[in-house]
Amino acid sequence: MEQELQSLESEAKENLKDITDNTSLEEFRIKYLGRKGQFSAIMKKLGEVPKEDRPRLGQLANQVKAELEELFEAQKNDILRSNITGADSALPDLTLPGRQLQLGNLHPVTQVMQEICSIFEGMGFSVAEGPDVETDYYNFEALNLPAHHPARDMHDTFYVSDSTLLRTHTSPMQARIMEANEPPLRAIAPGKVYRCDSDITHTPMFHQVEGFLVDKNISFADLKGVLTVFLQKMFSADLDVRFRPSFFPFTEPSAEVDIACVMCGGAGCRVCKKTGWLEILGSGMVDPEVFKMVGYDPKIYSGFAFGLGVERIAMLKYKIDDIRLFYENDQRFLSQF
Amino acid sequence: MKFTLSWLQKYVDTAGLSPEELAEELTMLGLEVDTVAPLYEELATLKTGLVTSCKKHPDADKLSLCQVLIGENTHQIVCGAPNVKKDLSVVVALPGTVLPGNFKIKKSKVRGIESAGMICSERELGLSGEHHGIMELPTGTPHGETFIEIMGLKDTMIEVDLTPNRPDCASVIGIAREVAGKVKRPLEIPVIDREVEVTSKEFSVDIESYELCPRYSARLIKDVKVGPSPWWLSARLLSIGLRPINNIVDITNFVMLEYGQPLHAFDFEKIGGKRIVVRQPYATETEIVTLDGSTKKLSPEMLLICDSEKPVAVAGVMGCFNSEVEDNSTSILLESACFNPVSIRKTARDLNLSTDASYRFERGVDPGGTINAMDRAAQLIAELSGGTISEAGADNYGGRIPHNTQSLSISRTSRLIGVTFTGGDLKEMLESIGMKVTNKDEDTLFVGVPSFRVDIGREADLVEEIARIYGYNNVPTNTPKVRLSYPEQDENRLKRYPLSVKLTRNGFNEAINYSFTTPDHPDMLKLSEQDYRRKTVSLLNPLSEEQSIMRTSLLPGLLENVKRNINFQKSAVKLFEIGKIFISQGEDSQPQEKQYLSGVLSGNRYGESSPLYFKADLVDIFDTKGAVEFILNEMGLTNLAGKEQIQFSVPPEGAREQFSAEKYSLTIHLGTTLLGTIGKIENDVARNFGIKQEDVYYFDLDFDALCGIVPATTTFTPLPTFPSVKRDIALVVPASVSAGELLAEVQSRKEKLLKHTDIFDVFEGEKIQKGFKSVAISITYRSATKTLTEKNVEKAHSKIVHLLTDKFGGSFRDA
Repeated sequence: MEQELQSLESEAKENLKDITDNTSLEEFRIKYLGRKGQFSAIMKKLGEVPKEDRPRLGQLANQVKAELEELFEAQKNDILRSNITGADSALPDLTLPGRQLQLGNLHPVTQVMQEICSIFEGMGFSVAEGPDVETDYYNFEALNLPAHHPARDMHDTFYVSDSTLLRTHTSPMQARIMEANEPPLRAIAPGKVYRCDSDITHTPMFHQVEGFLVDKNISFADLKGVLTVFLQKMFSADLDVRFRPSFFPFTEPSAEVDIACVMCGGAGCRVCKKTGWLEILGSGMVDPEVFKMVGYDPKIYSGFAFGLGVERIAMLKYKIDDIRLFYENDQRFLSQF
Repeated sequence: MKFTLSWLQKYVDTAGLSPEELAEELTMLGLEVDTVAPLYEELATLKTGLVTSCKKHPDADKLSLCQVLIGENTHQIVCGAPNVKKDLSVVVALPGTVLPGNFKIKKSKVRGIESAGMICSERELGLSGEHHGIMELPTGTPHGETFIEIMGLKDTMIEVDLTPNRPDCASVIGIAREVAGKVKRPLEIPVIDREVEVTSKEFSVDIESYELCPRYSARLIKDVKVGPSPWWLSARLLSIGLRPINNIVDITNFVMLEYGQPLHAFDFEKIGGKRIVVRQPYATETEIVTLDGSTKKLSPEMLLICDSEKPVAVAGVMGCFNSEVEDNSTSILLESACFNPVSIRKTARDLNLSTDASYRFERGVDPGGTINAMDRAAQLIAELSGGTISEAGADNYGGRIPHNTQSLSISRTSRLIGVTFTGGDLKEMLESIGMKVTNKDEDTLFVGVPSFRVDIGREADLVEEIARIYGYNNVPTNTPKVRLSYPEQDENRLKRYPLSVKLTRNGFNEAINYSFTTPDHPDMLKLSEQDYRRKTVSLLNPLSEEQSIMRTSLLPGLLENVKRNINFQKSAVKLFEIGKIFISQGEDSQPQEKQYLSGVLSGNRYGESSPLYFKADLVDIFDTKGAVEFILNEMGLTNLAGKEQIQFSVPPEGAREQFSAEKYSLTIHLGTTLLGTIGKIENDVARNFGIKQEDVYYFDLDFDALCGIVPATTTFTPLPTFPSVKRDIALVVPASVSAGELLAEVQSRKEKLLKHTDIFDVFEGEKIQKGFKSVAISITYRSATKTLTEKNVEKAHSKIVHLLTDKFGGSFRDA
């Protein structure tokens, strides 16, 4: 039986070398390796050999089979390769591209949003989302923006009814989270927001991430620290950041945060309107009125809040010049990120 | 708010600061500078000239042949203006000049006569719309000079993007005050600290509600002559883009820009009963004609300025046509008042009229400043129109606002900003912007706030001032000391991102569509009248009909994306979106918001993968089903712990989605809960979305419901110790028997050795009898305790074969 195995092995190897097409290869498989093939036939005789020889012969048979199978696979691949290149030569044409299946991509907004969230999660912020169709109370009133306040002009609001609207910012989550929890708190709220505005730099829907931290003894210096860490993680470790006074009804003092222009490095260009700075987020110390609305004592607690536009950051990061591209879902766009 | 550098310098010395440096200082004070623009640069090459002779063109009646002296040279210029004459000072564009609008001036021949340049009109210079004749410069203007310099036009315009809390800076003086505080130089204001001393007998002012109008001051100026403004005044207005009208209107505009106090001039002759009444409309007063000539509807809450009979102005917004100052007016009643911001805002909104006056009143005008601005304007009117100011005036200040004093805690200010301040530090900073500060106790200051700072009413407002003046960038940068805690996260959200990543590994691109869509979508999807996706939420003020309702399904957006991609030659489309749908819960309630996970597939299965290795082939229902199985698997929703498992089933007749093709529809259930559907988009629905390509498949899953199912826990299965044996069966069964039934039957046998079944081939035709099909199943057997013998396997296998042939009446083919 040992001999039979060995001769089968050498015969099969000899035959395999000459096979150059798939049909012959399949015939080879059936003849030698198939269930009714020659190898199986020999194996059936294993029962007839003396008991003490069986383990050794069994092992040998397995070895022979494994070797033949390996050679068979190699030959199969050679044939496949030569079929592809069309050349008779078994030498592969290595200038051909590698074989890879095309994968898809995450939307750039999702990617940037995830990056923003993970930086804040790393600093111990929880993440919460809220309704897109919001009440006037949470979107405005609770944020110290009563009816007929001129600051409402800064929000071109889509209304659903007198008391419901599409949220114009993610800030309502500030009020919702504070109302439902006791300080200390630190949380961010990512999500979609809506404004009636549409041009090359505005889409009627876009994404924001709101964030806030409330505790005892939180200062404007702390706001600067946390936001500087965030921006340097998001852009680059040596990024220049500046804070300048602004106005939001729900924070006081309020600050716009600028970063050195990522396009020109601060030298001045069209994108930064030659100022060298880019406005990147709005922030401030939570206004005492907002604390009063949610029942916190502003004499005991203080905190800061901030909000940033995700598309704005994505546009700067990837140098995208038209915000409308984000919502066309053109695969030529999506596949770039 | 626009102003120019030279204008600002009337009130504060900015020497040593370039326009850019000044802009930087303003921005860092919270007055964000939007634009710094040198003015009239395009006019820099124009010269002043003197017409030394002016004769008729020999061959043209309407043209004049002029000799114009410019410095030492005389130029011959043909001019068509009716007002050109000898000894007139004019503006000349010599050949080579390019005027606004890319108008190139060349030496030319006009009707046979050489003309070396052009004498310009105001419109040609871009200064105004005036084009009846050439611009006449004041007599005595030196010739040969650079026009913009000699006429004081060379300047820099600065535009500040004002935040709503700083109406005091909607004035050049307001901005100058901030600059003066910053550079520590004095502020010079033309008219200050005036009071009306004598009350006029010639007219009276009555206010019905001091709530709506806390103060109304007025003054009469007689014997005025209405005419064009002098050049300096026109130039001021032109420099910030305002068109000069006449001296009276221009002065009211100029003083409003200077002081931030809106003023209005009435023709006193037209004020019936010589009486001003500030009141709301009578029921009979329903319409009014405003100065812009339009008829506006009045509502009862609006505030009007009336005479004894009729309304003459909409308070704080716009004057009426019936009391307008005209060229022949001789007596002017000048109004300087203060109105309730909310009332003005509502009125301006209702009338859809936003004016420079309403802008300021909405944000708050200094009630203490009406007289100063009024007197400044009256002086200018007297000076520029030859009028006489009547000594007496009116000042109804029934709604006097008490003196604004706030206390400020030194320690709290220090704690909030993160800088340790002394009382002295705070005092110095606050005094630099006009506040009066006294010490109350060791930790408290009393701060007297000037009336023009209408935005300051609380301690927090003063803290902001301190931070602003101290300089945000001088505050240190710390990180807070907080107690360590574990942030609780939303489980549903946590599942989204990793699942999305995995879907992209499956060849899907992620889409994000607008939440609002067209109300046509439910019809385009052929949804039935009772379908819950017709319970849409509409926007009251959409940007367009296409974006007027909140979506109730993600599919329409995705189908539109399919169309777009095909149009741009990307016919292989695989997109998914995870997003909210909105189901109305009645008009005044917030809608139900549910997360869905939906996808569309069309075209080549392998997308852009190289056809060298991946033979192009169209996607089909099984790619779609596979994607959903993949999602369920990744979410751990296969092999659930309970008895019930998620099932795919062919919906009964009439129960499939209306947009899904017959025979290509599946529903996904857990027990009786519908989790989603899979299918092929009906061809006519695809065409409704403009997709001509056939074979568009979709899946639509209730992501919230999927997240609500408790996933199977992953438990390790020991690796098999003994080898397995594979056996294939090929069965010829009636074509109506489904593969699923065959597999279910095999499973139901509960054969202990059976480990796995796989369908590896299904075919009809050729050697198979009509009405039958061949199904090839591969079955893997393995024992946990021993190596199986041929006999063991055969025993188990034949049982299964018999079971299948008995049950389905098929025949057994050799594999």
